[in-house]
Amino acid sequence: MHLSGLSLTNVRSFRRLDLELRPGMHVIAGPNGSGKSNLLEAIALLATTRSVRAAADADLISWDALRDEPLPVGRLSAQVASREGPVTVEVVIAARAGLEGQPAAATRRFRVNGVARRASDLIGRLRVVLFSADDLGIIDGAPAARRRYLDVTISQLDPTYVRALQRYQRVLQQRNSLLRRLQERRGAPNELDFWDQELAESGATVLTARAATLAALATGASARYVDLAPAGEELAICYRPALPPPLTDLVSEPAAALAPRFLETLNELRRRDIQAGATRIGPHRDDVTFLLGGHPAGVSASRGQQRSAALALRLAEVALSTQRTGDAPVLLLDDVLSELDAARRARVLATAYEVDQVFITTPDPDRPSVDELPSARRYQLVSGAVRPIEDAAG
Amino acid sequence: MQDPWPSSTSPIQRLVEAFHRLPGIGPKSAQRLAYYILRAPEEEARALAEALLEVKERVVLCSRCQDITEQDPCRICLDTSRDRTSICVVEEPLDLRAIERTRGYHGLFHVLHGVISPADGVGPEDLKIAELLARLRDVDHDATEVIVATNPNLEGEATAMYLGRLLTPLGIRVTRLARGLPAGADLEYADDVTLGRALEFRQVVE
Ligand SMILES: [Zn+2]
Repeated sequence: MHLSGLSLTNVRSFRRLDLELRPGMHVIAGPNGSGKSNLLEAIALLATTRSVRAAADADLISWDALRDEPLPVGRLSAQVASREGPVTVEVVIAARAGLEGQPAAATRRFRVNGVARRASDLIGRLRVVLFSADDLGIIDGAPAARRRYLDVTISQLDPTYVRALQRYQRVLQQRNSLLRRLQERRGAPNELDFWDQELAESGATVLTARAATLAALATGASARYVDLAPAGEELAICYRPALPPPLTDLVSEPAAALAPRFLETLNELRRRDIQAGATRIGPHRDDVTFLLGGHPAGVSASRGQQRSAALALRLAEVALSTQRTGDAPVLLLDDVLSELDAARRARVLATAYEVDQVFITTPDPDRPSVDELPSARRYQLVSGAVRPIEDAAG
Repeated sequence: MQDPWPSSTSPIQRLVEAFHRLPGIGPKSAQRLAYYILRAPEEEARALAEALLEVKERVVLCSRCQDITEQDPCRICLDTSRDRTSICVVEEPLDLRAIERTRGYHGLFHVLHGVISPADGVGPEDLKIAELLARLRDVDHDATEVIVATNPNLEGEATAMYLGRLLTPLGIRVTRLARGLPAGADLEYADDVTLGRALEFRQVVE
């Protein structure tokens, strides 16, 4: 799949940007702070509906608009050409200008082909895989970063996952609120029955989808790690669901097999959950471990090894996305090539040639060089405008 | 009555803040409304003020069904032609009106004034459930079926299950609207045909 058009209005550093796009490689050069990352972030947001940096939605709206306009609105839209035909996706972020000293609150609305839709209907219309320096956080960051990685990745591949995850999160919030009420001896414990049932059902769907996708990603990443670090140890990636031991084995079974056992366990742990005022098991506490030669990569691996592991994972994601949907995702390489040696850069670029469309940002217009990427169209990003570099475009 | 506003705030500021407290009114709209009133003829402002007071003075909750009414008991509760074996439980008065519009239901109603939602601090004891139990034991002891017509979302389902657990042991058939309504849609906005069918093909709450 590829983007045939992109427009941004009042998004980060872009007041107004309209690009007509074709398949192929696009190298976007600009000095640090010019907004190169914002451009890729905007494309990723149109795919996932989430901001890459987990920032507040209002932060996505251009600062000028927030300052100048009483009802600032940021608008992102893209025309996507995929195997299923052309589709237009649009995300509109509306903020109320922040009162003095208060951050602006924002609402998000979504449209598919001009019709208002829920986020879950938009996700997956455009699929992207974003490579960025922040990927190291998947290896050495907090468990929440790994859960977020899994959620964003699986959401793009499986629309039912988005709905199950949203339902799970809502049920969890209700159940935790009820647990706190019960902890304060308000209400009756059997008021938990409904929420337990719903938590077990949506939770089982989330858990089994995560286990299945992670297993596929782990196999792919291990194979690619060997290519990236030929002399290195073996990379193993394991899913660590926050469930008691007999249940952990069930995550590789269908969700229908896991749900009733999950519910039983919630019942057994009910008194402790009430004491804690919180749900102590379930996918909201999952983690993923990355092992290099049997040792946790987050603590004991070198920076270079961690970078290779993150890269292997992203490359595996590209392959999985292509394999599951029959249509390659759009590749976004956010200034990651400059940190790699020639051999690893060649590995990444080899994958770039296998997909329909690639966007590469770089601070140095001469890297990647014209020799390395002879067919790439080259652009310069200057003060919020993207201009083709004519002589290099050929 | 105690004045909730300090005397130092100006009348216009008080009005802006009063509008801002209304649902769906942001600070900009509140200002626009306040300045509109300021410029409007005095009769218009007086008519609005009187309407506001009248709604608080004359409209009460029906002591049986908890619907809003100017007479207690309300017109529906007193209507002897209605089927007194069936009580349809709704979240809000507007939902009751939506079901009346379908003309497909001839039983009684009960308004909960909300739905179970722990995250919003609403438990069963915060709803008009004790009032429902009281009327089932007393004035409406002929009722054999309670139709739970809460919205088709998580909180609506939680409320339906709670009522099922509570009322089934009393020998009452507790049913739920058929799943024809779009998930997450509000009853209030459902079209009459869809709502009528959802009522007709209701299912027993397990
Ligand atoms: Zn009444």
